[in-house]
Amino acid sequence: MRVVKHTETNGRGRHECGSPEHRVHRRLFLQGSMASGLASVASFNGLFSIPALAEETKKQGKKCILLWLCGAPSQFEMWDPKPGTITGGPFGAISTSIPGIQISQLMPRCATIMDKLAVVRSMSTEPNEHFQGVDVLTRGEKPRPPFTRPILGSVVAQQLGQLESPVPQFVLLDPCPEGNEFKSFKAGNWAGWLGAQYGPVRSGGEYSIPDILRPEALSEMDHEDRESLRKFLSRKFENDRRSEAAAGYNAAFERVQGLMSCAPLFDLEKLSQADRQRYGLGAFAQHALQARHLIENGSTFVMVANGMPWDNHVFQHEMHQMLVPELDNVLFQLITDLEQRGMLQDTLVIAMGEFGRTPWLNEARGRDHYSKAWSLAMAGGGIRGGVVVGETDPLGFEVTQNAIDNRRLFATIFKALGIDPKEQYDLPDLPTFHRVEGDAQPIQEILLG
Amino acid sequence: MPQRRTFESLPFLALVFTAGLLVPQCAHAQESEVTAGSTDMAVRIDREIAAGYSKHGIEPASLCSDEEFVRRVYLDLAGRIPTVAERVSFIEDVSPDKRLACIDRLLASEDYVQNFTDTFDSILMGRGNRGKVAERQKLWRPYLENVFRNNRPWDQVAREILLARPDSPDQAGAVWYLFERQDNAQAIAEAVAPAFFGIRIDCAQCHDHMIASEIRQQHYWGLVAFFNRSKNQKTDAGPRISESAIGGFSEFANIHGASSPNILTFYASKTVEEPRPEKDAKQEDIDELYQAPLPPNEPRVPKFSRRTKFVDEILSGHPMFAKAFVNRVWAQLMGRGIVHPFDQMDSMHDPSHPELLDGLANDFIASGYDVRNLVRGIVASRAYQLSSIRPQGVDDPALFAWSIERSLTAEQLARSIQIALQQRVENDHPMLPELRERMPDVMPETIVTDVGDTLFLANNPKMHQVILEGSQKDGLIARLALQADPKGAIDDLFIAILGRHPDDAESEAVLEFIQRSGTADSFEGKISRWQNVVWAVLTSAEFRFNH
Repeated sequence: MRVVKHTETNGRGRHECGSPEHRVHRRLFLQGSMASGLASVASFNGLFSIPALAEETKKQGKKCILLWLCGAPSQFEMWDPKPGTITGGPFGAISTSIPGIQISQLMPRCATIMDKLAVVRSMSTEPNEHFQGVDVLTRGEKPRPPFTRPILGSVVAQQLGQLESPVPQFVLLDPCPEGNEFKSFKAGNWAGWLGAQYGPVRSGGEYSIPDILRPEALSEMDHEDRESLRKFLSRKFENDRRSEAAAGYNAAFERVQGLMSCAPLFDLEKLSQADRQRYGLGAFAQHALQARHLIENGSTFVMVANGMPWDNHVFQHEMHQMLVPELDNVLFQLITDLEQRGMLQDTLVIAMGEFGRTPWLNEARGRDHYSKAWSLAMAGGGIRGGVVVGETDPLGFEVTQNAIDNRRLFATIFKALGIDPKEQYDLPDLPTFHRVEGDAQPIQEILLG
Repeated sequence: MPQRRTFESLPFLALVFTAGLLVPQCAHAQESEVTAGSTDMAVRIDREIAAGYSKHGIEPASLCSDEEFVRRVYLDLAGRIPTVAERVSFIEDVSPDKRLACIDRLLASEDYVQNFTDTFDSILMGRGNRGKVAERQKLWRPYLENVFRNNRPWDQVAREILLARPDSPDQAGAVWYLFERQDNAQAIAEAVAPAFFGIRIDCAQCHDHMIASEIRQQHYWGLVAFFNRSKNQKTDAGPRISESAIGGFSEFANIHGASSPNILTFYASKTVEEPRPEKDAKQEDIDELYQAPLPPNEPRVPKFSRRTKFVDEILSGHPMFAKAFVNRVWAQLMGRGIVHPFDQMDSMHDPSHPELLDGLANDFIASGYDVRNLVRGIVASRAYQLSSIRPQGVDDPALFAWSIERSLTAEQLARSIQIALQQRVENDHPMLPELRERMPDVMPETIVTDVGDTLFLANNPKMHQVILEGSQKDGLIARLALQADPKGAIDDLFIAILGRHPDDAESEAVLEFIQRSGTADSFEGKISRWQNVVWAVLTSAEFRFNH
């Protein structure tokens, strides 16, 4: 069993005193060779100014796009329709490109690419509340305070990403700063014990990142120069105090230069109008397109969210009638695009929320939270299409076959991405943690090879 | 606690109000020891906290130096770093009780008023202002300032805010708490629970809290019901909250579809009896249901007022009220609550030091809800005055064995940057609104720095402008550039910004930076180099945190 090496962080995400990077910078700095050392960096402007790195980074290795359907969508109106039953709701089911597999009539476009999609109809998890659900379904495991398990995107970025790449490896696109429990979740610690450098770069809203451009009066050289001095002083404080807060602060500064060089990647106006029309003009759709663009240009993990729109406790059918077709088109466009660009085999696309919705309706004609039996879908990456895993009873109350919990789901995702699910984290002074705990088996039926 | 059943007992309220204006008692016999044991409350804190160390067999960090203390206590009480002169005068003071003297001086300062107003404004109203900046500034802010300037008893303040029927012009601003929430009784309930009772009830909207099961769906809708007859009303005297004598009865459904009436009840409290009309009975909103005589300019008050019932029978004497306040002020000053997070004081979150929490809450009640006395007790404790260097082998922050670092709030940062560069403060510096928006966190559960924060510090034009201001006459950068001896300048730089002398490595690094070949030796050249140095020190983690 290979052991994850953390050269720069110890268990709690702190930088170790005398990390290699720290030494290099300090040496360069103290030798007065900072200016010459930075000359090569200072010569780049705009995207991919270090061509060697850029070409390597692009299109290499496995990537992942997580369409995060926060609030929790209804399985009945998507992947596990129960037409004509008392729980099924008003919408019908339609046939797909795979004989015998039916999905909701609200998803006609996905029906045509069923051969690319793997659907799990037997998700069965514990938390029934948003915050706890989001926690378990994005980290893969229940919390064990005071330790914070890193979120999926951080793990994938750490395992498959290039930390030195100027292109952010883990991006969260979310236009909506609000979103109830998701809002509080976003304010928490995402990268956990991996350390803040593996946390997401957040963008969204007006599709650009504020202050991504250097003040005009400041030369590029000065901008780089003063940062080296800042880093030297700030790292010293971090190391002397063993301060996690300072480590996170310094890690965020580490990203500034790289991110500035990537400004054009976050400018949606730079994308083709035809593509933007094709995906649809909603924020979620536009961000899904931006996710494709980021993955094409070297990001490793992009999570697309949009507040908590799926939490339809009220008028569930009317709401889903708007939300599901948008998702249907986005998934179709994204998977088709990735395939046309020869990227689908390396890019895993996941569409899921934190749980499903109740078979019954509440008084407000909403469906409430339901984690006992729900569905999700995946495509690309190491995933076999045209497969449905598990099933629920005729009314959708219980999983009757092949129940999949969060651990098995994460084992499957990691396996599909070529990451060892059983690997143990190397965390000095901390209890033993594995990437996936227990003896969780990946879902073999949907894995290629 | 005074029980005020009806609206008419004005003289009594006036008496209480006057009492609130009295200067808090602070003349304890001073011990000669520099810090610990300076107040009764501090003694209690240190006894309980030390018991925790023994129980876990750990050694806490040592007492912090005067240099560390003066920066920390200025940030916590005055909301800014000390000026160079304030720092020197404290450090050179040889009197044994100078730390307590400094605490008392700051508690009596206008800086304390502004700083605590900022913090409580964020806690009570949130950072978003729903587009009502001007009115909030005009009404709410002066009210809060008055609360902290006159050290008004917290139980009275809470009562005024939640009853929202001002007896005097001084109280007029209190109505803004409800008014800004624009008749949204659910938003009011969701804000009141954490702010005054230290619990979050949002999860209980649709069902009993799944994890902290003592928080029931009934508590959510009960709290909503206390406010669901209230309506914003604009009067000649300003915004008011009217209350209807009828309506506000409904049923709420749980996830299984079963419905229950929204009776007047709340968590860890009793149920207020209220006659409930038959389902289809029509109620008439007649004058007899209201107190007579009808006030000329004020909204009429129902004889059975749900808000009055709430402050008299739920808020008054509620077991969480004092604890929630004490825990929050503790979190503000100590980096985390005795219950953490400070606004989830439920069965899922046990206090790290239960006896201490109870003891502080009782002391707070016994003092007449004296906020300044509470703050004073905490910062006078040895636990507050520990070094921020974490002892080897100690990892659990809940032991309070070292001083936990905290991010400067937007306001603290804006003021401290000005002090560092100008030795003076404008409270409405143009940088502040943007900083508030971009770095809104006040007492976050975990300190997380977003790359957006660092982009702001690196590139924001207003941040750049501040550096330019510091380069003008009398500014730090201009003074540094004029200094003939670079070593002396570097020392001044560290004192002005970080409140300490540089060590050799730091001194050497900065010297090398400013003397690098290839940069013109003109005054402008010097200014430009010092601008970069000052930016680098201002944006170092050491400046960003209170430690």
